Amino acid sequence: MESRSIKYAPLSSKLKAKKGSRIESLICCNKLGVFSHLIEKVSSLRRMNQKTVEEGAVRRRLPVLAVLMIFATGAARAQSAPSDQTEQIRILLERVQQLEKRVADLETKTPAPRVPAAEVAASIPAAPKPEMAEAAPPPGPMHQHETTESQTTTRQLEARYPSLQIRGFGDVDFSTTDQRGAISGFNLGQLDLHLASALSHKVTYFGEMTFNAQPTGYTVEVERSIIRYDYNDFFKMSFGRYHTPIGYWNTAFHHGAWLQTTISRPDMVRIGGTFIPVHFVGVLAEGNIPSGGAGLSYNAGVGNGRGSIISRPGDGGDNNNNRAWVANLYSRPTKLYGLQMGVSVYRDKITLPIVSPAGNEFREWISAAHIVWTKETPEFLAEFANVNHKNILTNATTNNQAYYVQVGYRLPWLEKTLKPYYRFEHTHTPLSEQVFTNQDLVGSILGLRYDITNYASFKGEYRNTKRLPTDPRVNGAFFQTDFTF
Amino acid sequence: MNATSKRVVTFLGVILWASMALHSPSTAQTTRGADVAVVVNSETPVTDLSLSEVRKVLLGERQYWNSKLPVVLLIRAPAARERDVVLRVIYQMSEAQFKQYWVAKIFRAEAASPPRIVYSNDMQYELLTALPGSIAFVDSRNIRPGVKVLRVDGHMPGEKDYPLR
Repeated sequence: MESRSIKYAPLSSKLKAKKGSRIESLICCNKLGVFSHLIEKVSSLRRMNQKTVEEGAVRRRLPVLAVLMIFATGAARAQSAPSDQTEQIRILLERVQQLEKRVADLETKTPAPRVPAAEVAASIPAAPKPEMAEAAPPPGPMHQHETTESQTTTRQLEARYPSLQIRGFGDVDFSTTDQRGAISGFNLGQLDLHLASALSHKVTYFGEMTFNAQPTGYTVEVERSIIRYDYNDFFKMSFGRYHTPIGYWNTAFHHGAWLQTTISRPDMVRIGGTFIPVHFVGVLAEGNIPSGGAGLSYNAGVGNGRGSIISRPGDGGDNNNNRAWVANLYSRPTKLYGLQMGVSVYRDKITLPIVSPAGNEFREWISAAHIVWTKETPEFLAEFANVNHKNILTNATTNNQAYYVQVGYRLPWLEKTLKPYYRFEHTHTPLSEQVFTNQDLVGSILGLRYDITNYASFKGEYRNTKRLPTDPRVNGAFFQTDFTF
Repeated sequence: MNATSKRVVTFLGVILWASMALHSPSTAQTTRGADVAVVVNSETPVTDLSLSEVRKVLLGERQYWNSKLPVVLLIRAPAARERDVVLRVIYQMSEAQFKQYWVAKIFRAEAASPPRIVYSNDMQYELLTALPGSIAFVDSRNIRPGVKVLRVDGHMPGEKDYPLR
């Protein structure tokens, strides 16, 4: 017990010396106060026990008390620190408001420098409309106290074009599995840079680039490059390279691992995977559909579709004269805030580079559906897709199915930083499939996400997967820290 | 069940109860304040919104008042009561979830920028009058002339069923 109190004392002085802030020291003192109070309580209980209870009973209860103390200390620290800090900030903000009012009052008493009539007219509408505020304070003086400083702040917050914003995502991973021949170890995940720039209030550019660690160096990939023109909420048109709007995951999480609950993406939307075309080059229209409480929205696009390497879109041009198209319709009902459900279809003609006697051209139909509950208590994601391939020469048809169901729950303790999750996924490709190599998979993952801060997390995941019926089950442990900056 | 087992069960029960009590928001912490008014720039062509429409605006799902006038979201800095009410009633999110929501929204290319943060009422009113299409949330006791106060679900601030409080 004593060693704990000694451990905390220098921490408080360190904090005071380092930050020199009154708020910090107050928070620190409060934490120490709660802590020392608990120590005193436990010590007194311990003394009482020593006097009244047999030695054996004391020995039994001491560990319990120690656990209780550790728990209570942790809980008190978790509880008191943010609320104290928030309270201090709230008091300061109230003080700022009081001072603002006082400045305004003083300025009404002192004769203000003459403001040009035009300027006053700009700030005070001449005739307030019926629904306009008819509040108590007199209008004139309150608005005359616009200082140069506040005008500068206002100017800074006014929109300027182009307004480039850059955000990055990164992750570092560790994995180990019992798969024969697999090597455990660390690896650097994707370093992802995202650019967003408003070019006018109706035109916006979005870009995304990834840097991927490879055995011989790094590869750079342009993941998305989109220019979008907004007419209104019902019609926005964009051109470029997208994440294909099929299902939910592919457009909700993109490449930043920090955005998703889990370490890995479902196999059906795996980066570099072929089950659905993850990227798409072309033109896309999107917007809301006037539908009252149903909250309908749509995406509809035309583009190059799959390239000769079917995991990639035709960035440099299509490999046939047939364009792919995609349509996605989803609903976010207003009465059920957090719910989203939708359906998507995708149509393409695939031309494989290797010509075989059975032909190398196929019609592809993808139909998909999803239902998600995005609130985290609980979080629920479920998605299904069927990929139909029809050989143009022989008319042979195959259907490939994949689905996943994922549940997570943000626990109420430790400032809601913990989120356990589970996902089951299944992919089936028939033996007669001619476009895909076999992608069969039955797998489960069980993991825990811990949000270290608002912008970084730790994840730990256990995976159990099986590919072909003849393959053994593979167990693996995966760890990741991911972040945005 | 012997005495030791009973003691263990009681101890675990106490721990569970204590943890729930320590981490659930206490009713005493929730102070009842004035209603939070939804105010817009006086030129904005809207007078009445339902709570779900206000939510759509704040979530960035409605980004235009009409084809010529984009929505400009103004939100008070953390710890202001107006922000607490907006996060609790409209977004139904914690501060962390709110920040993550906007990072993800911009990353999905659904919005070019997050809501603009304002640090005081004065700043808020300056922006409301200066920026066409702006919408903000203010304590109904501090409403000033020159802005338009919206009805929410058909109610003005101060009325019985007004939802933002």
